[in-house]
Amino acid sequence: MRKVIFISVQLLILSCLCACDLFDYHPYDVKITGDRDVNRNNCNLIESACQEKDTLRFAVMGDTQRWYDETQDFVNVINKRSDIDFVIHGGDISDFGVTDEMLLQRDIMNGLNVPYVVLIGNHDCLGTGLEAYKKIFGPLNFSFIAGHIKFVCLNTNAMEYDYSEPVPNLTFIEDESKADSTKFDKTVVCMHSRPYCEQFNNNVAKAFEYYIRMLPGLQFCTVAHDHRLSVEQYFNDGIVYYGSDRISNRDYLLFTITPNGYSYEVVYF
Amino acid sequence: MKWSISKYLFIFVLLPLMSLNAQVRDSSRVYQSVVKESHYDKRVHRYRKNWEAVIPNIVKVQYAGNMGMFSAGVGWDYGKRRQWETDLYFGFIPPHSSGKTKMTMTLKQDYIPWSIQLKPSVAIEPLATGLYLNTVFGDEFWTHEPERYPKGYYQFSSRVRIHVYLGQRVSFNVHTTDFWSFARNITLFYEVSSYDLMIASAVSNHYLKPKDYLSLSVGAKFLLF
Repeated sequence: MRKVIFISVQLLILSCLCACDLFDYHPYDVKITGDRDVNRNNCNLIESACQEKDTLRFAVMGDTQRWYDETQDFVNVINKRSDIDFVIHGGDISDFGVTDEMLLQRDIMNGLNVPYVVLIGNHDCLGTGLEAYKKIFGPLNFSFIAGHIKFVCLNTNAMEYDYSEPVPNLTFIEDESKADSTKFDKTVVCMHSRPYCEQFNNNVAKAFEYYIRMLPGLQFCTVAHDHRLSVEQYFNDGIVYYGSDRISNRDYLLFTITPNGYSYEVVYF
Repeated sequence: MKWSISKYLFIFVLLPLMSLNAQVRDSSRVYQSVVKESHYDKRVHRYRKNWEAVIPNIVKVQYAGNMGMFSAGVGWDYGKRRQWETDLYFGFIPPHSSGKTKMTMTLKQDYIPWSIQLKPSVAIEPLATGLYLNTVFGDEFWTHEPERYPKGYYQFSSRVRIHVYLGQRVSFNVHTTDFWSFARNITLFYEVSSYDLMIASAVSNHYLKPKDYLSLSVGAKFLLF
């Protein structure tokens, strides 16, 4: 009996040493290995790299959920270019909110030669996804200033919260319109779910538009979620919402903002 | 001799002796029950016998395997060669970066086709396979989508996972005369498993390597009787 226990303990220790990362406790075990707070670190990188620039070029994509191969291809394609300042991932980095999904996708995106930020998508809210997202990527609403342009990244997945939290957070948008106002004169708003889609809190859609129009020099908005390319106005007020495709359709949006305006193109890979 | 002492002497010493004597005398004869077993007795016996069959005869503990950090449970073995086992585990997931510890429950079906006796007290089971359903407790997990979603919005359950596994075992007989023994056989096992969501991802992505979608677990089975 004692011998059996002795052998079993030895076996257990041995196998633990051999393959520690193979022991998984649960898909929704929020055990974070590797980089944390990716968005904040990358925002700092973007801000310092773009400080003196008056022309910015950045890629917008999203909905990489469960399409690891295509996401890897996207990273390879971006790395072949040298004219891109940063990448904006429009959310849904995971399909089921499983921690390992986010870690795997983060590791793929870490392969980019340029910094990137990841927005929160509705799929990222499932299970313990929100907790994992906050640890791996950071706050749900955040902003950074590249050159003289502020990028305001918002959580717009209201349905996931069942109205328990203000989504979209209008106060955050108001604060962002005033914070560091000397450092920027243009704004781009990025979100996962667009106004008037089923995820958005459509009761405040017009209020949302009212608030984002308070942002200085609002250029345009980027959205994901719909799994299709789109260029639309939802309020007929001149504010264009550009929708990125899901990554499995193998394309991304490329924006160039110059002192005189902006342009965009769809790049297929 | 006082009556009080002789009374106890009679009850505790002489009566058993007398009955023993009676038993010895009767042992050569067929025992005839005086009281006929009533329908009630038969029903009670059947009732007890049926419930005895559901007394679990296995206790198991397991580390990892995507069903909790540590899980413990009871099980039943059945079949001609006891090649089938069904287990019910409870486990926990440590908080790590989330706010709280989570409880899990697992229903596991095992199939162990072969058992090879190496020594009188040691046997190996070169293959153990099966599947398990795991459920995790907590408001953030659902079996069916909450009502706020349009019907069929996510088309999966965040609460229930289906796992499949392959494993191997080695079992040791234990002397039940040992002071500490509470089982008559102890089996050590390891399993390699994967679950529905990860299998779906692994099938459609070359990027995922076995270490991404496979998971290892170890455990012990105590055969009580």
